[in-house]
Amino acid sequence: MSPHQLDIQLVAVIVAASCSIPGAFLVLRRMSMMTDAISHSILLGIILAFFLVGDLSSPFLIIGAAASGVLAISLIEAVNRSRLVKKDASIGIVFPFLFSVAVILLSKYARNVHIDTHSVLLGEIAFAPFNRLIVSGMDLGPVSAYVMGSILLLNLLFISFFYKELKVSTFDESFASSIGFRPRLIHYLLMAVVSLTCVGAFDAVGSILVIALIVIPPCCAYLLTDSLFRMISLSVLFGISAAISGFWAANWLDVNIAGSMAFVCGVFFLVVFLFAPQRGLFGIMREKRRQRMDFAEASLLVSLYNQEKGEAVKNHPDSRGMFRSADFASKVVGFLKQKGEIAVTGGGLFLTERGRERARMTVEGR
Amino acid sequence: MSGKGENPVTPAVRVTDLTVAYGDKTVLWDIDLEIPGGSMVAVVGPNGAGKTTLIKSIQGLVPRVAGVVSIHGRPYEKQRKEVSYVPQRGSVDWDFPTSVVDTVKMGTYGDLGWIRRPGRREHEKALGALEKVDMLEFAQRQISQLSGGQQQRVFLARALVQSASVYLLDEPFQGVDATTEKAIVTILKELVAGGKTVLAVHHDLNTVSEYYERIAILNVGLVAAGRVEDIFNSENLMKAYGGKTSFFPERKTARRAV
Repeated sequence: MSPHQLDIQLVAVIVAASCSIPGAFLVLRRMSMMTDAISHSILLGIILAFFLVGDLSSPFLIIGAAASGVLAISLIEAVNRSRLVKKDASIGIVFPFLFSVAVILLSKYARNVHIDTHSVLLGEIAFAPFNRLIVSGMDLGPVSAYVMGSILLLNLLFISFFYKELKVSTFDESFASSIGFRPRLIHYLLMAVVSLTCVGAFDAVGSILVIALIVIPPCCAYLLTDSLFRMISLSVLFGISAAISGFWAANWLDVNIAGSMAFVCGVFFLVVFLFAPQRGLFGIMREKRRQRMDFAEASLLVSLYNQEKGEAVKNHPDSRGMFRSADFASKVVGFLKQKGEIAVTGGGLFLTERGRERARMTVEGR
Repeated sequence: MSGKGENPVTPAVRVTDLTVAYGDKTVLWDIDLEIPGGSMVAVVGPNGAGKTTLIKSIQGLVPRVAGVVSIHGRPYEKQRKEVSYVPQRGSVDWDFPTSVVDTVKMGTYGDLGWIRRPGRREHEKALGALEKVDMLEFAQRQISQLSGGQQQRVFLARALVQSASVYLLDEPFQGVDATTEKAIVTILKELVAGGKTVLAVHHDLNTVSEYYERIAILNVGLVAAGRVEDIFNSENLMKAYGGKTSFFPERKTARRAV
């Protein structure tokens, strides 16, 4: 591994970790698409700030960008609160507008400035190692690692200071407000943090792919855990793994690094979506099958139980006719036999002691 | 608590000239309401009468066009800690990744204030409240695994840990099982017996006389408010519901008397 590759991975890991942290709250607040809005709107802020200071590397660009992200959120909320437009539509109205203004300004007045639309959308993490922080002749590493590192630190501080406020206002906004927290303030703080993160990540992975890093890792984590804290930690792990494996995949296939990282995110989600133990697609199917079998077994046992007690039996107790197919019936009988809950002798089915107990519990509700 | 609420002259909740509008639609019109301390009050009225809005606007959760709310004689904003709120169960996402005990612990957040974290003491408090609502064995359960009745008990427990003196409940019996309903009523009656004040949005007119001492009948404006035996009659219900109710309190009491 060359130092160059190490630098790229370092930046990617920091970007991914700082994206996943606020991402967990965005996903829980059903605001994932706000990322889309923010990550596009910041371009306007970058350009306006550039016109003001005339320097592409000025820190004012970051502030301008973060401010335009918050502006986008406020505009979306304002359009939304007018109740004249639905929420998703107000997102779709505001950010393409802000983005298009930025693109027009860019192509009209800043043609000779190095902000090209390709890198706005995709970023160029491969260049991250070339812009280095050099203090009195000492090479301290890529600048973007420091910028993103500070943003990561800020995100960590934000989450650890306001964890309970974020939690209660995400779960139950009106309750949070009734106990004196100000959900709107927390909302805007979170949005400011997301904007800042987008601005930082934007340089590395571009505006479209930052969405993948903010939204997908928390979605994977959400399907795997029942605790908010674990959800956030898992998101970070997913983000970091996607960054590293995405980098090597890009290296191997010789493709765009950011695109490859987002692709890996998607693959992670697909795997979790299918195979998450309880909430995955297969898990749910397995659970449904288990319930169906459980119910079938119980019905058969109860019907035998009732027959033993001499009560009228609605279904024929030899299990045929009770189930939708003879195949399914023999499967049910097979399982029950295996569990030792029924015995099959000569002409019919009989409950064993264990089967009788289960039937009795089913009928009497323990 | 001392000094507050014991004074019989100062009502626990006083609402003056309260008016609320959503857009150009008036939802509450000029409500004047006094709720004496230590009473259990039902808020009833047809759909769209503004019952939920009343509960919310008392706490400033929806903007008031006009009106003042005071709790034990002081403005609500200064008495926030005296008020405990149980929102409608359906107003939150029960798939949120958290446990029962952590949800109840949110009731302690108000006292903790900004930034401070809940610790051992808050945990004990939450467990105590869970015991009161008979949910202790579910403390570590994920909230998405609860039934409707259990969810409502969790919400009540969260309100109980706030140690407030006024309880505002939005449809606490909506979609809960009979056992839970009885359990909640028992807890609320205990609170009232201990001098607390309970104001609950209530739907089932059949149980009003059994559960509550006082009632506020609402339909955008306040139709009537007072003791159940004085104002819970078909005349007032007709005023609020129009022909949309077939419930007549007199007939019920008459049948009971026979």
